[in-house]
Amino acid sequence: MSSDVKKEKIIRKGAEASLYSGYWFGKNVIFKCRIPKKYRIEELDKRIRTERTLNEARALIKVKNYGINVPQVFEIDSTTSTIVMKYIQGNKLKDILANLDDDLKKKYFYEIGRTIATLHKNGHIHGDITTSNIIITSEGNIFLIDFGLHEYSDTIEDKSVDLHLLKRVLISSRGSNYEYCFNAFLEGYRSRYREIDINECDEIIKNIKAIESRGRYIKPEDRL
Amino acid sequence: MKKLCLGIESTAHTFSVGILDFDGNIYSLINDIFIPEEGGLHPGLVREQHLNNFMKIINSALSEAQISVNNINLIAFSQSPGLGPVLKIGAWISRMLSQMLDIPIVGVNHCIAHIEIGRLKCNIEDPLTLYVSGGNTIVSAFESNRYQIFGETLDLAIGNMIDSFARDAGLQHPGGPKIEKLASKSDNYIPLPYVVKGMDLSFSGLYTAAKYLLQSGEYGKKYNLNDIAYSLQETAFGMLSEVTERALAHIEKREVLLTGGVAANKRLQSMIKYISKEHDARFEVVPLKYAGDNGVMIGWTGILRYQAEGSHTISDTIIKPKERMDQITIPWRS
Ligand SMILES: Nc1ncnc2c1ncn2[C@@H]1O[C@H](COP(=O)(O)OP(=O)(O)O)[C@@H](O)[C@H]1O
Ligand SMILES: Nc1ncnc2c1ncn2[C@@H]1O[C@H](COP(=O)(O)OP(=O)(O)O)[C@@H](O)[C@H]1O
Ligand SMILES: [Mg+2]
Repeated sequence: MSSDVKKEKIIRKGAEASLYSGYWFGKNVIFKCRIPKKYRIEELDKRIRTERTLNEARALIKVKNYGINVPQVFEIDSTTSTIVMKYIQGNKLKDILANLDDDLKKKYFYEIGRTIATLHKNGHIHGDITTSNIIITSEGNIFLIDFGLHEYSDTIEDKSVDLHLLKRVLISSRGSNYEYCFNAFLEGYRSRYREIDINECDEIIKNIKAIESRGRYIKPEDRL
Repeated sequence: MKKLCLGIESTAHTFSVGILDFDGNIYSLINDIFIPEEGGLHPGLVREQHLNNFMKIINSALSEAQISVNNINLIAFSQSPGLGPVLKIGAWISRMLSQMLDIPIVGVNHCIAHIEIGRLKCNIEDPLTLYVSGGNTIVSAFESNRYQIFGETLDLAIGNMIDSFARDAGLQHPGGPKIEKLASKSDNYIPLPYVVKGMDLSFSGLYTAAKYLLQSGEYGKKYNLNDIAYSLQETAFGMLSEVTERALAHIEKREVLLTGGVAANKRLQSMIKYISKEHDARFEVVPLKYAGDNGVMIGWTGILRYQAEGSHTISDTIIKPKERMDQITIPWRS
């Protein structure tokens, strides 16, 4: 990377990556570096980091076409597992959730529901929909980030699993008012998904319950 | 004399009785473990063994603690989740003891008990817990008055997956310790499916691929059983560590607890210890005696619930084979 590219300071050590703020040809950017995880053996670790980096970069570029707000990708370096992307000025939903009034909660979650439905109906699974991976800008725009676990899929199961994660994160977040938020999310999700197939949409939502019951103690007849 | 609780664990393989006092001092723990001759866990056979042995186990626990049954002040039993026919035995014995001795009874969720005994024995306050056993794979932490589930398996439990693979490789149940031993003799990694979905994981693809390696023509030539055991462990435990780290980064707890039968594995311990350190969290593994299924954890959780809510009525003691830990409020922690 040239001298017009400057990695300044670490802003966050995420679960998977270290994030640095900096500049890239005059633009405010984020360097997302998937650092080696020493708990995994090197071979496996390298494979996962490279896979996820390429996967994330491709997905970010791809889903932009559907009009979804995601950070623009400027550069990819698979040897260091780094993505340089636009810095999104705003707040993580997780950090502001407890202080949002009901109207805003409803507005945001409805909009998030529509966004995820847009992904799903185009065959994209985000893979990690949590309140840490949604940024709200000061204009109230919603940005999705963290596409490392993105997958292409058109199955009901994969879409349900995607929603199931958000549901659980909301249940376990203090001050989230889970039912209210998740209902607003589902309303938004249905409103967009129904444009292609309302029956499939209902099946996806129904299947969340089935997934929940599976995580329970596995009956012997279901064991191998 | 201090008040005493007798705890009965009966959800799956293990029938276990523990005796402890209300301050958490432990006087005895006796286990009887059903080991299938082949195949999985047949509820009928497990039930038969537990029914034949329970009196003997209770008596051994009492004599090890050097007390008479009349000294017991509280009965606690595993009420959920587990195999219906096996849960029923524990519930039935407990109701009988409670009525015979005219003492209170409380039902306990098995998964919550795994966490509570860890908090007691490791002197830990508010951990993120990775609970890994034959029947469960759960990442949990306390939030909004419950032990919330942050991540879990979408199909097989980790212990069950390892045991099944071991069985396919001709090893006797339980396979976990044997696979650990074989794995330690290899560093030849064969790529296997690594499936993490958010904070959840899936082991069925990994199991299928590992089993396939056993049947492939290259088995015994390019790689041997040690290599598959090693690759299986590295992949599965890498997944477990990753979801634990994701949950830890998300909820920012300062302590990490590893428990369940699979917690015995040294390789898994070292991986979870590493990620804990990375996130400045204290790491504890529950002492092995109390990490697997045991009556003491049921007794201790029973004491906590009894002190918070009093006795259950007999009609409250109906078994709940499918109850999830996150369906239950935790009055003793609010
Ligand atoms: N493009 C971006 N603009 C602003 N902040 C970002 C951006 N990408 C990531 N972040 C911040 O860094 C955190 C971690 O990044 P993320 O991509 O979610 O990685 P991880 O997989 O480690 O969670 C996010 O929660 C967010 O706060
Ligand atoms: N060293 C080990 N490595 C991996 N797995 C182990 C080890 N020791 C025990 N196990 C596994 O732990 C499981 C037993 O866990 P336990 O919590 O006692 O009960 P349950 O199977 O009834 O849930 C078995 O699957 C066994 O193979
Ligand atoms: Mg993230």
